[in-house]
Amino acid sequence: MTITKKKDGAALTISLEGRLDTLTSPQLDAVLKAELPGVTDLTIDLASLEYVSSAGLRVLLSAQKVMNAQGKMTVLNPNETISEIFEVTGFSEIFTVG
Amino acid sequence: MDNMKNAAIIPLSGRIDSANASETEAKLTAELPADGNVPVTIDMEKLEYISSAGLRLILRVKKSHPSLSVINVSPEVYDIFEMTGFTEMMEVRKAYRTVSVEGCEVIGEGANGKVYRIDGDNVVKTYKNADALSEIMHEREVARLALILGVPTAISYDVVRVGNSYGSVFELLNAKSFSKILANEPDRFDWCVSEYVGMLKTIHAITVPEGKLPCAKQKILSAAGRLVGVLPDGLGEKLKKMVEDIPESDGMIHGDYHTKNIVLAGDEVLVIDMDTLSVGHPIFDLVQMYNAYAGYSISDPEIVLRFQGYDAATAHRFWHASLAKYLETTDEKKVAEVENKVRCLSYAYLLDRAIRHNDTDSPEYKLWRERLLALLPSVDSLVFECSGGEETAPDPDALDVEATNENLPTVVDFVNSRVEATDCSPKAMMQIELAVEEIFVNIANYAYAPEIGRATVRVSVTDDPLTVTITFIDRGVPYDPLKRSDPDVTLSAEERAIGGLGIFMTKKVMDDVTYEYKDGQNVLTLKKRL
Repeated sequence: MTITKKKDGAALTISLEGRLDTLTSPQLDAVLKAELPGVTDLTIDLASLEYVSSAGLRVLLSAQKVMNAQGKMTVLNPNETISEIFEVTGFSEIFTVG
Repeated sequence: MDNMKNAAIIPLSGRIDSANASETEAKLTAELPADGNVPVTIDMEKLEYISSAGLRLILRVKKSHPSLSVINVSPEVYDIFEMTGFTEMMEVRKAYRTVSVEGCEVIGEGANGKVYRIDGDNVVKTYKNADALSEIMHEREVARLALILGVPTAISYDVVRVGNSYGSVFELLNAKSFSKILANEPDRFDWCVSEYVGMLKTIHAITVPEGKLPCAKQKILSAAGRLVGVLPDGLGEKLKKMVEDIPESDGMIHGDYHTKNIVLAGDEVLVIDMDTLSVGHPIFDLVQMYNAYAGYSISDPEIVLRFQGYDAATAHRFWHASLAKYLETTDEKKVAEVENKVRCLSYAYLLDRAIRHNDTDSPEYKLWRERLLALLPSVDSLVFECSGGEETAPDPDALDVEATNENLPTVVDFVNSRVEATDCSPKAMMQIELAVEEIFVNIANYAYAPEIGRATVRVSVTDDPLTVTITFIDRGVPYDPLKRSDPDVTLSAEERAIGGLGIFMTKKVMDDVTYEYKDGQNVLTLKKRL
């Protein structure tokens, strides 16, 4: 998985490319832990993400919890399969999917 | 034996020559027991010199007290005794040389003491017990027996004083234990397995003359007997009966065959630490091997690292590869079957040991007990064929791997390679991939934790309607993931619990998920129509 960060003041955009699974989700977790302090507007762009498993969902969920306390989080461009996963797991209700 | 009680030990010191011989004799005679049958020992630790006048004196004592022996004789005085033929007339024991191990490299450590390198070619094995002489003599005796019977081993050539205790000295040229090799030279893993198993087979193929060594079965049978009242539902009786049914054997058993006790000295592989030698069925060696690699460290993988110098994952890999090689099979099912028999006895031994040491509050105790109780219902015999037999061809549709997260890509690739042939949609492929990840990662994280175990993944594709079936088999703790209630998907981020999501997603993307616990194995089957 490739993680691209773009920071603009208190706004952070993270673009994910590849697979967010058991093996790669710790990378995203580490990036979020380091970058989130002070961020009030988080965007996670999934346009190039092909795959997400429950390990990835857990990392996204904990980011959502942090952002609930300090601002907002938007998830962009999930592909069809990932959208469906968000749907069945109820994450589509938790995330603001733009 | 009664005489032993009155045995006299009389010290002599300084110099004995013609100038003081008669004076010394008067003193000595005063201390001699009146009864000539009482054993007399003269301690010469402080004696520097003895002339022929002194020797004549010793001879007179020998005449009046025939069981005379002389101990702690310095090398100089010993030479005199030897030259004059005294060593053939009476028991003359040399003084033990004193060796200091201060600052010496510790190259091994066991329950009973440490092994130090005292110089390039020599090591000294020390014993914690201050009264170690009998232990040393015993070990030397069994090592000699083993060597004569064909086991390449080192025999101590000297006994020395080390501090307040004793040590035995071995010549071990540039010796390096297999533990050290495995820790520092990972590319020699396969070589280590091969030499290690080859040596074990050599030992097991040796027939020991009757009465020379104790019987390994006796120890485990006593342990099983004590567990009868400890294990519920007749499982203790079942265990004891199974141990009783292990056939007697006069094959040699090392008894502590782990990689610290196998050394490479020069280009020769040697087995050391022979004090636990016994006779019996090979399973008894496998039990102590399993204990060393996995049993003792069941709740704390650090124990292996501290003791062997390599990590728990390496220990597990080494154990598994060695067992498969020992059994001369690549059939994982057979390896797992024998491993379960071994684990039964391993846990039984460790449980009994903990009970005897009054150490039943530890997390290890709980795990040993749990694992033993889970295994016993499905194990009906502890006997197995050591080699040969009919080799069942490996199942081409099954993959057997160590259940670790690192192996996830291997498993995913394997399943994909089977599913790809069906020409199914990319979406279905991804859903299958998702289910495979969730289930395999669950096994990797929970089935054996904190130990490491293996999992088998089998894939089959059937027609009418086109269906893929994926079966996951592990031999870990019995666990039915389907019993878990589904997470409430209507909750907010704050309220959502972290667990249960993976199995829930699996159920959503598959058409059918079933679980059964069978033959000591968790079997989870996923079906998806394509």
